[in-house]
Amino acid sequence: MSTAPWSLHLLSEVLAAFTVQSPTALRDVVSRVAEAVDAEIMGIVRQGEFVLFVGLEDQEKALLEAAAAERTPMLTLSGGCLHLYWAPLNQGESMVVGRFREEYSLEERALLRAMARSIQLSTQVLAAVKAEQEALRAEKQAKELAIREATVDSLTGLPNRRCLLAYLADRLAHRASRPGELGLLFIDLDRFKNINDVYGHGTGDAYLQAIGVALGQFRNEDIFLGRLAGDEFVVVAAMAEMDKLCRLAEQILKRIEQPWSINGRTLQYSASIGLALAEPGDGPEDLLDKADLAMYSIKQKGPGRYACYQPFMREQARSKADLEAEIRHGLRTDEFTTFFQPIISAAHSGVVAFEGLARWRHPQRGLLDPIGFIGVAEEAGLLRDLDARILKDGCFCLAGWSSVQQGFSPRLSINLSAASLVDSALVERVAAVLDESGFDGHNLLLEVTETSLVSDVERAQRNIIELKRLGVRLAVDDFGTGYSSLRYLRQFPVGMLKIDRSFVSGLGHDHDDEVIVETIIRMASSLGIQVVAEGVETADQQSILSQLGCDFLQGYLLGRPGNGHASEQVFERSEIRLLQLDRDAF
Amino acid sequence: MQTTLAPADPAGLEADRWIQVGSSTKQQTELAVQEALAPVLGRGEPKLTIIFCSPAFNLAEVSRLVQAAVGAGEVIGCSTAGELLRDQPLSGGLLIWALGGDGFAVTTGVGIGSPETGLRDAAHDAAQCLKRLERKQHTLLFVLADGLCGDQMEVVRGAYEVSGAGVPLMGGCAGDDMALQGTQQIHSGEILSHAVVAAAITSNAPMAIGIAHGWEPLSEAMLVTQSRGTTLETLDDRPALDVYLDTYDAPAEVRNNPAAFFDFAHTRPIGVARRNRTEIRYVYGADYEKRSLTIFAEVPQGGMAYLMQGSSTSVLNATSEVCSLAEEALGGQPAKGFMLLECVARKSLLSNAGLLEESLRLPTVRDEATIGGFYTYGEIARTEGSGGLHNQTVVALALA
Repeated sequence: MSTAPWSLHLLSEVLAAFTVQSPTALRDVVSRVAEAVDAEIMGIVRQGEFVLFVGLEDQEKALLEAAAAERTPMLTLSGGCLHLYWAPLNQGESMVVGRFREEYSLEERALLRAMARSIQLSTQVLAAVKAEQEALRAEKQAKELAIREATVDSLTGLPNRRCLLAYLADRLAHRASRPGELGLLFIDLDRFKNINDVYGHGTGDAYLQAIGVALGQFRNEDIFLGRLAGDEFVVVAAMAEMDKLCRLAEQILKRIEQPWSINGRTLQYSASIGLALAEPGDGPEDLLDKADLAMYSIKQKGPGRYACYQPFMREQARSKADLEAEIRHGLRTDEFTTFFQPIISAAHSGVVAFEGLARWRHPQRGLLDPIGFIGVAEEAGLLRDLDARILKDGCFCLAGWSSVQQGFSPRLSINLSAASLVDSALVERVAAVLDESGFDGHNLLLEVTETSLVSDVERAQRNIIELKRLGVRLAVDDFGTGYSSLRYLRQFPVGMLKIDRSFVSGLGHDHDDEVIVETIIRMASSLGIQVVAEGVETADQQSILSQLGCDFLQGYLLGRPGNGHASEQVFERSEIRLLQLDRDAF
Repeated sequence: MQTTLAPADPAGLEADRWIQVGSSTKQQTELAVQEALAPVLGRGEPKLTIIFCSPAFNLAEVSRLVQAAVGAGEVIGCSTAGELLRDQPLSGGLLIWALGGDGFAVTTGVGIGSPETGLRDAAHDAAQCLKRLERKQHTLLFVLADGLCGDQMEVVRGAYEVSGAGVPLMGGCAGDDMALQGTQQIHSGEILSHAVVAAAITSNAPMAIGIAHGWEPLSEAMLVTQSRGTTLETLDDRPALDVYLDTYDAPAEVRNNPAAFFDFAHTRPIGVARRNRTEIRYVYGADYEKRSLTIFAEVPQGGMAYLMQGSSTSVLNATSEVCSLAEEALGGQPAKGFMLLECVARKSLLSNAGLLEESLRLPTVRDEATIGGFYTYGEIARTEGSGGLHNQTVVALALA
């Protein structure tokens, strides 16, 4: 058996080392050449510094670098005597190989010298290939990044609106012709704005990220999801039956409603979901629109629910849009007016105040109660304008009555929406109206609901304190139907509680209502807060409320709301007494 | 075969170093750990504990129990294809090899690779532990790598980039009892895969490595004309599988049955020619369509290769001589202990010949010297040159 000549092996394997074309080829080449020539060290040195090297730790490598200029054939290191061979390349470069124990033979030196130029050319080619590969990789990465940024929502990492629409378009274009095999869930988080307002946008963003992760757990080959915008997420499901889509919606609602620990706070919110199945001819926007309508429809009925799209929802939405436009027009053209309902002292049966109530003189539908428009106005963000209008009307009107009825300065109580309560311009607006109308701020009460008090406690508190400086006081409307928390009675300077009409209506025949009303009156009394009972419609109710110690009464029995002129006539009716209260009363 | 010579140890330092091995074949993890650790803990608190463990055990539990027992000492380890003691091969067992005493100092490291990127960078990362080591007179880098992740030669290259020529390199590739599904590595209580774990060991006494395999060329030298990673495509421009089958005159079953080929190739490795030695490569698969061979580690393109032959006797002799080779390189100092790493393919060959127990009798090793190790999927031993990956070889580390 003959063995292969070493020189032949060396020549063949070293040259073959350069046929490797992997991205790490240069690093490989150095190792392979060292292995092929059975060297402990191998490197290419350029102007005294190694550009490629393997075989020595840093300290001994520095010794070798120092020896490069003189191309010393031998170096004593900790491992023994290192025999070196320096093969000159071009332009100040050399290749060096070294091994312990044995010098390089003449044959080896001749081969290494002969191969040196090839090695240099090969390393140059490989370096160029590597640079080109890196440039191509950088270009590819930049493209991938651009695509990612264009299609991925940066906050949640989910597909963004653009990607969702493209996916939907693709699915709708390729789906079979039978309807209903593609469903869409439009998810809108309930009261998300509240998180941003109360805890800040950082917490809001973290909450959205958590919801994104939670929704991501529903993703599979049949379910695609993304974030459309803000607090809106969309799930596209390859499901043919609405029942399955409903089960999915229920699971998602359940998941979202779990308590989330975000930035050290526990947040527990719900979502509303609209469901729609694709029909022939539907494009991405059509399907989104249907699910959006369903979501919008169900959200109005309360949080944490889902609804399937029905064609009537579109009609409802159109009606609502029309109504919103009409409200805007009405606000511009002074179609809204103020009606006044008297408030009576329970003890003395005299009128002490009026509540200013909004009415809309609709050009076609006549006089409208707030119930017909207040919800749409709130959603459209128009309540601040409406509040301002009622405030101004009320103050001017009652200031006028005071000037006519000498010695009688009735109080004015008007409703203030949650939006107005946290409006940074509220105090300035109230001050201007009081100033312009000449109405005394001490005679003004602003009625807010329990819910609006807790929506943004900090801003509400700031406004209420400033209003108090103007003499304006706070009344809590519909007391007993909201949070009924004793905490905010202590937190805010509440001067008046208005017992909701639903409790008053039960007086005389519902023991529970009587207990509730009595409890509210006693609690308010002990806190030094006065009480108005709303919705008094019978003499029996009036009698019971008086016996329970209620301070003031309001309701149809005692006077219906009327316009300014009609209310003014109250003063002329002989059976009505006008009662001037002390400054702090009511 | 190669040895590394180390200068003689100054006298009077023997007492401050100890090496101890413990083992167990109990099936219940806690009892097995207890039994294997008992002799080790009897010697004191180890500086380095190496766990060689059958994948039949829950390695996480083994690791947790060992780490808790040895205190602040470093712990590494891996799954095996069998464990070995003097006179006694274990199957499905647990072996703990430990060193301690003030004469030793140890740091450990870990690196994670992947089947896509291989283990070169992982080995490079793991070997960084050398840089944290306060060195005494003699230093060695011991590595354990995932034996089923990429080209094992890359482990040597990655580690050598850090250790360089001044630090001998020794170690093995983890096994999985020949299931060939996946191996595990242990580092400081963590169970890893696709990883390389390393221990940089420094001592005030010599440490030396012995390498032996017992294989001889059967064929003439052939040019490796096409080879990439662990796939050997052509030899002398002929399909490597055809060259292999024809040279060994393989029976018909081997030519179309992967399982039969696997058994056949156990005892027919390929030799990679180096200047003054031949490194062995384990053939463990064939692609009958592409007519290529699958090797545990690269057979470098452009190099020379042989088809090797051996007998149970030559293989047996290699095992018995490797400890002597290593001890001879200690410069006259007696070995306190040995780490023995042997290829699992050799285990099969010796078992079939009924020589497995005999191979571990090692009459040249003094009774006082402890011996422990494992059956590997590849052996790492670099004492000269910059290569050092072996298959179907036995390597021994002797520590004075």
